[in-house]
Amino acid sequence: MTRGEIMNSRLTELEEKSIFILREAKAKFKKPAVLWSMGKDSTVMLMLCKKAFLGNVPFPAINIDSGRDFPESYEFKEKMVKEWGINLLIAQAEHKKDAISGTAEGLNKAEALKKLLEKEKFDALIVSIRRDEHGVRAKERYVSPRDKNFRWDFENQPPEIFNYTSEFKDASHVRIHPLLHWNEVDIWEYSKANNIPVNPLYFAKNGKRYRSIGYADSTVPFKSNAKTIDEIIKELKTTDISERAGRAQDKEKEYVMQRLRELGYM
Amino acid sequence: MNRKTVIIGIDGVPYKLMDDLSNKGIMPYFQKLKSKGIFRKMRSSIPHISSVSWSSIITGSNPAQHGIFGFTDLIPNTYTLSFPDFNALKVKPFWHHNENKKYVIINVPSTYPVKPLNGVHISGFISLDMDKAVYPSSLLGKLEELQYEVDVDAGTVRTSKSLFLKKLTQTNEARINTYRYLWEKEKWDVFMFVFTGSDRLEHFLWNAYEDKTHEHHQAFLNYFKRVDEIIGEINQRISDNDSLIILSDHGMEQIKTNVNINYFLEQTKFLYLDKSKKEYNQITKKSLAFSLDPGRIYLHRESRYPHGSVKEQDEKNIIQDLTETLSNIEYNNEKVIKKIYQKQEIYHGTELERAPDLVLIENPGFSLRGAIEKNTLFEQDPILTGKHTLEDSVLFVKSENADKIVPPSPTVEDMVSILSKLNK
Repeated sequence: MTRGEIMNSRLTELEEKSIFILREAKAKFKKPAVLWSMGKDSTVMLMLCKKAFLGNVPFPAINIDSGRDFPESYEFKEKMVKEWGINLLIAQAEHKKDAISGTAEGLNKAEALKKLLEKEKFDALIVSIRRDEHGVRAKERYVSPRDKNFRWDFENQPPEIFNYTSEFKDASHVRIHPLLHWNEVDIWEYSKANNIPVNPLYFAKNGKRYRSIGYADSTVPFKSNAKTIDEIIKELKTTDISERAGRAQDKEKEYVMQRLRELGYM
Repeated sequence: MNRKTVIIGIDGVPYKLMDDLSNKGIMPYFQKLKSKGIFRKMRSSIPHISSVSWSSIITGSNPAQHGIFGFTDLIPNTYTLSFPDFNALKVKPFWHHNENKKYVIINVPSTYPVKPLNGVHISGFISLDMDKAVYPSSLLGKLEELQYEVDVDAGTVRTSKSLFLKKLTQTNEARINTYRYLWEKEKWDVFMFVFTGSDRLEHFLWNAYEDKTHEHHQAFLNYFKRVDEIIGEINQRISDNDSLIILSDHGMEQIKTNVNINYFLEQTKFLYLDKSKKEYNQITKKSLAFSLDPGRIYLHRESRYPHGSVKEQDEKNIIQDLTETLSNIEYNNEKVIKKIYQKQEIYHGTELERAPDLVLIENPGFSLRGAIEKNTLFEQDPILTGKHTLEDSVLFVKSENADKIVPPSPTVEDMVSILSKLNK
């Protein structure tokens, strides 16, 4: 089968829009970087970078190392760096005490990233979030400035056009979201059509697979027999479990847990 | 004639507190109302917490029908905590029963995120994002102007009780101004308004109610004085043909000690944890049962959990063992557990399979906890002094036929039926 047969018109359209945004980002910013979690979305992003810039990823890729990732993820990282020639920078996340319970440990990923961005003076960060992931992300835009404290002031966003002329006031860096318009199935169809390497944890082993990959000790697999991308796509079209259901660390959840702990629950 | 109905909720207020403060002259408006309607103790939901109880109140249904068994649940086939919200509610609340009536619903817990209705809905605890807590969204600007907050930040109580009380008052006043605004602006048939500061106040300062010398005793009474003023104000705004319901979702009493049920299950070899993991992912294959807040016990079924080991044929014996073992917990020679229900005794409905296998009902003063990272059975609570009770929430109904429609021993599941029979 030739590539043309599986790259349907929807994928081509998604790809074109993302590549346009990436090229604009490269032209407008002095020093962009791309965030790479080793997951399916940000690996698709690396592929889009390659396509946009004649086969090379022209930005450094930043990976936040929790020290608690799955062994499979570490192997996948090494393989990708070698085979795709990625200029990889590691932001080392440190453990922090949870202020509420005083017991459970959390990881300060945002802090680690902030330090690295400041040190390397990156002015734009390309992030692979998608609008369909969850509620909070539905408000995101393709271009999203962050203030010095990394806060996202969603009421004060620039107009949603890429060739803006206004400066971002008080922005420490700008986040670029070229994958905002993709959905989970798009990511898998595109991965298949372009033969993009995939972290093996996404495929079913002993009747279970991961749909979204976080830390080894806080992410749980769900029951699945999908061993190929085709089977994953078929499964996604029938499931009603949400993509990030296995992730314990989502922000909304943290907030809810905090509220409940204040009243003595958990 | 267009008859109106007003429902005032007072989260966590026990019958005995309403009775006591009205008799003592601290709630004079309610004292006057008492003789004009039916005032009874109402039974809360099982378990007796706000999310379950309010879900029963607004749907008139059992937890196994509406599907809310607590603030927390585990995602099917995982050990990951989930927090069931308004989307998880399987039975329609009363404001979807009659599309020709117009409703104003303010601050009912566990109704976030809101959905379109004929009227106005501002959800209560736990609301995350104002945009999804308010219908219609055209109201957002006005709420901002009124400084409406979806919840008081209870975290401040750890640093300063005075600051907490100040915030509680601010939140309450903004909410009162919001009710006044919507009362006038909307042409409603049913108006529901819930005070939730009462529950926070009682959790953190129950001792200030019981101890007259406590520095916040007066502040505690003042909160209920204010609630009473608003009851008086609302009663004055309605006519004799209209109906008024005042209710609470559960009662409250002094905490004697917290009791960590999962720690007890570990000690009695029903639960084995792998401490290198987090939260409920610690549950290992050897485990037979575990607990979620507040006294829900789940068998670690093979058919339901990734490492589940309890086979169907062994369920009966394990339930029997658990019941015997749990009923023996003692604190200073006093029994902690008053009653243990099996799920089929208390639950009925399509969600029965998801229900906890056992629910523990405690003796007075014992606060049952489902935290999984504890290393002692009994523990004095560092912050809370009040805990929920099952038997003595409040129901007051004033309407022409109140004596005919309020059951002699009402439960939270009766509210919707009472509502449908008002003034008929």
